Amino acid sequence: MAQNLVLALVGGALLRVSALSTAYLNYVRPGFRAPLVAAGVILFALGVFGLVQEWRRPYPPSGEAATRRRSHGPRVAWLLCLPIVAVFLINPPALGSFAAARDQRPQPRPAGGYGALTGDAPTAMPVGEFIGRAWSDGGRTLAGRRVKLTGFAVPSEHKGQWYLARMRLRCCAADAFPLKVAVLGVPAPRPDTWVEVTGAWVPVPYDRLPKGTAAPALTATALAKVARPAEPYE
Amino acid sequence: MLPWVFAALAGFLLIGNLLLSPHLTAPAVTTWSTIFVTICVQAIPFLVLGVTLSAAVTAFVPPSFFERALPRRPYAAVPVAGAAGLVLPVRECASVRVAARLMAHGVAPPAALAFLPASPAANPVVLVATAVAFPGEPLMVLARFGASLVVAVLAGWAWQVLGRPVPPRVTTAPPVPEGATRRAAFLAAVRHDFLHAGGFLVIGGLAAATLNVVVPRSWTTSLGEVPWLSVLVLALLAVVLSVCSEADAFVAASLTTFSPTAKLVFLVVGPMVDLKLIALQAGTFGRAFAARFVPLTLTLAIVVGVLVGRVLL
Repeated sequence: MAQNLVLALVGGALLRVSALSTAYLNYVRPGFRAPLVAAGVILFALGVFGLVQEWRRPYPPSGEAATRRRSHGPRVAWLLCLPIVAVFLINPPALGSFAAARDQRPQPRPAGGYGALTGDAPTAMPVGEFIGRAWSDGGRTLAGRRVKLTGFAVPSEHKGQWYLARMRLRCCAADAFPLKVAVLGVPAPRPDTWVEVTGAWVPVPYDRLPKGTAAPALTATALAKVARPAEPYE
Repeated sequence: MLPWVFAALAGFLLIGNLLLSPHLTAPAVTTWSTIFVTICVQAIPFLVLGVTLSAAVTAFVPPSFFERALPRRPYAAVPVAGAAGLVLPVRECASVRVAARLMAHGVAPPAALAFLPASPAANPVVLVATAVAFPGEPLMVLARFGASLVVAVLAGWAWQVLGRPVPPRVTTAPPVPEGATRRAAFLAAVRHDFLHAGGFLVIGGLAAATLNVVVPRSWTTSLGEVPWLSVLVLALLAVVLSVCSEADAFVAASLTTFSPTAKLVFLVVGPMVDLKLIALQAGTFGRAFAARFVPLTLTLAIVVGVLVGRVLL
């Protein structure tokens, strides 16, 4: 009985984050929805099927001791209630400024090979692309251009600046690392506020960065609060 | 009594949702819970797939199949058994049962012992999970596959060379289900294995989230700078956590401050030697056997893992 209930609950919790809401986007890559729904359906069905079977067999068929032993699943299975409690009680959000601020490693240097930007209006681009353009080919593609970046605010340890950040996933939120751009010239919003920053790259090519620089910098001319995007990660 | 426990749990969740949730918003708490839930959510589909296939193999593939497939001579049978272990998705605990059944049917113990670590360490489901956990790093998948196969074959041969120090004591072969009961056995195995592996997955998720959020980053970073120490720490972590092989790649991926070699050792050691397997092997084959076989596989796994990591990663 306990086994089947735990199975049904785990399946239900999986379906809640994958099929019934978009919470799974906070944890895994968007393409992973189908396997999550499938696993949720299988576990839920297995649990419910087992419960129905037990319901239809009210009397133990071969001695009470045997039934009792069989119905005792592995003890460690009780731990599966913990993620269920976490999902229903905390409803874990996407990683934000706490995780981004903890990771102090410098941004990885990208390979480059970006095309030239065209048009007069500020170009909207992912934070990762901005870092890539700034730190490859001497930042040529960003020189004299204005860009628009969307991300959440992270406080900085240096005065007069803050970070605009987006988390990047490799497999899932467990190995996420922050893409950060230092923002100068506008007051820092509250941590975790989602904003759109318009501005220009502070032209310091990768080879001439002062030692210990963690992220490329941007001088902002405009700052606007925006709604959190449906896909919080890049 | 149980229904009441669950009724209490459901009530707790409903009331807690209203009363507690507004207060559980400290950034450290939510970040910890996000990483914890992520590891569970990301790994469970692979767990379901692995458990289902493993239960199918143990319920529907008869031991006589292995007897026919394996060469008679022990030295030749070891690599074949190891390779069979890599192809057939049999999980940790089930592979102990399968190995015991093989020995009871007269397969040479070294061959059965090569199957024992090979199958859970690098079967197709595990390799797909590893590829998903390390996207863009196909060498990690290759390194895991190669190192696991080498360790399995070396362990089998070492057992043969050392003159089979202690014969594994197989008292009773677990019964092979027949006919109509096979389906029931299959479902029972899926249910049991998922709950068992899921419990250990939760332990792994708790440890990974805690390492990521509670332990100061500077500690793990400075640990990662001493190569041999980080290898030993992750080997020990693999032994203690006992995360099953379909899920351990996601725990390894979350240990972002450790070197790729240390992560590889974590992935090679985990499915071969951990606390639950030691207990299971001691119970199935006898203490004297486990006291020799466990240190042998652990040493081989660490050494081979480090060497392969040096070359490939």
